[in-house]
Amino acid sequence: MPSTAQRLADVITMPARNVGTQAASAATGTVQHLRNWTTNEVDNWGRDDAFVNRVWTLAQLRWSTSVGGTEHVPKRTGALIVVNARRFALAPVFAALAIGAAVDRPVRFVGRPDIAPFGPMMQRLGGLLPVEAELEGALRAGELIVLGAAHTRTNLHTGQIDHQLVGSAVAAKVRVLPAAAMSVPVGRNARVEIGGPIRLRHKRRGPLEELETADHLQAHINAVLDELGGTMTGTPIDWLPNSWVGRI
Amino acid sequence: MPGQHDRTVKVVTDFNPHVVVHVAVWEPYARAGTATARSLTDDAATSILGAAAECKALESIIVRSGIEIYGRARGSVTRPTEQVPTNPTSEYGHMVAKIEDTADAIGRRIGVSVGTLRLATVLGPHVPSALGRLLRLPAVPFSALADPPFAVIHQHDAAEAFVSAARVRVNEPLNIVAPGAITALQAIRRGRRVPVPLLGPEWVAARALTYLAGAPLPDHVQEMLHRGRLADNARAIDVIGFAPRSTTSEVIEQLYRWPSVVHTPAAREVA
Repeated sequence: MPSTAQRLADVITMPARNVGTQAASAATGTVQHLRNWTTNEVDNWGRDDAFVNRVWTLAQLRWSTSVGGTEHVPKRTGALIVVNARRFALAPVFAALAIGAAVDRPVRFVGRPDIAPFGPMMQRLGGLLPVEAELEGALRAGELIVLGAAHTRTNLHTGQIDHQLVGSAVAAKVRVLPAAAMSVPVGRNARVEIGGPIRLRHKRRGPLEELETADHLQAHINAVLDELGGTMTGTPIDWLPNSWVGRI
Repeated sequence: MPGQHDRTVKVVTDFNPHVVVHVAVWEPYARAGTATARSLTDDAATSILGAAAECKALESIIVRSGIEIYGRARGSVTRPTEQVPTNPTSEYGHMVAKIEDTADAIGRRIGVSVGTLRLATVLGPHVPSALGRLLRLPAVPFSALADPPFAVIHQHDAAEAFVSAARVRVNEPLNIVAPGAITALQAIRRGRRVPVPLLGPEWVAARALTYLAGAPLPDHVQEMLHRGRLADNARAIDVIGFAPRSTTSEVIEQLYRWPSVVHTPAAREVA
């Protein structure tokens, strides 16, 4: 026959026990999360879909992104999307994540370093080395790849586009799409606008094809950037000519 | 084998095959130490391919090679196709490059086609493998800073690839790799082993410890754990119509299900 004290002990949960249970539950949850993080799968190119989703969720806390022109992105085949890149904006990474979320396909980006720990970490995000053979292989395998132009100080115009890397898309016979990426260091809004595929007026048989494609891309991206008119902060600072924050 | 060239030549020429499939490649620390493996592989290539060259009916040679032939130098392509220039950076990579050179030279000399199957690390219950042995240790080291992806191939898929290549008389190099990839940490977690993260200098101690534990770590496996090892297998599907049945993840899961070596005592003592 249990005593009164024992019966009370059966129904009363002491705070210490409650805290202990919660701590144990939190620890178990953390361990489970860590286990899930380390048992993810990577694809043929080392991209970790679950890791990409987590990074994109975190990125959305910082940026509110809209993507336009997704109808130009092929549903199944490969394509090279060339985007302007403002310095320190990580435009190719950000554009790849945004486009991937918009079209619901894995999108990779060019420009991961080949040195640990950054290289492998960016490989998990979908990074590829800036090597023609690497791009060509991925494009032939039907992958979507974002390539950044040379960095510029502002979003007013795009930098040079590496025609040799564009040549890998020409060799793989896939679409080449221009895209304009706009973001500001102090604002939340960001936009990626994808243009239609580049078609040359004259068909070239030699290396002029990639040179002319790169030139067309640059002109096309500049035109889209002009149309977008630069990103405004919505403050009087935008009125300042060539200010470091307005129209960048 | 050394000193047995005449016997090898007799066996091969008596059979007078149309197709020779050369799989006599010793991966370092799979069955033999690196020096012995190199010597055995060289000798086998010389005598078997040399004997095959004496066969009048010979039409095609299929040679086993490995994706280690592409090397993992800094800036090398992550997932090389067969068109990427080879640049071996490990002992095993140099060994398979030498076999390919030998086979190509013989093929040109006697005018037969030479096909090369560049296999990813072959895993299976009956295939001794340095990587397989390492991953089955109770505690497995991995590169904490990199943990890059790699691909493997199941022994049955590898065997089927050779049959398909021999049937088609393939005359070019082909990558034979299971689809998908896995990192060392992911493999360790799947096998419920203890992951031991290493940063750099500790690898010397790790190599010594794994050696003592019966799973020596050759340079090509260490390179794989640091730099990854993938290859593009699309060409094999086009040329020989071969698609592996098991993905890399499935092969790794099977690796942990295969039973360990069971030592059965002799039923009757004879000496």
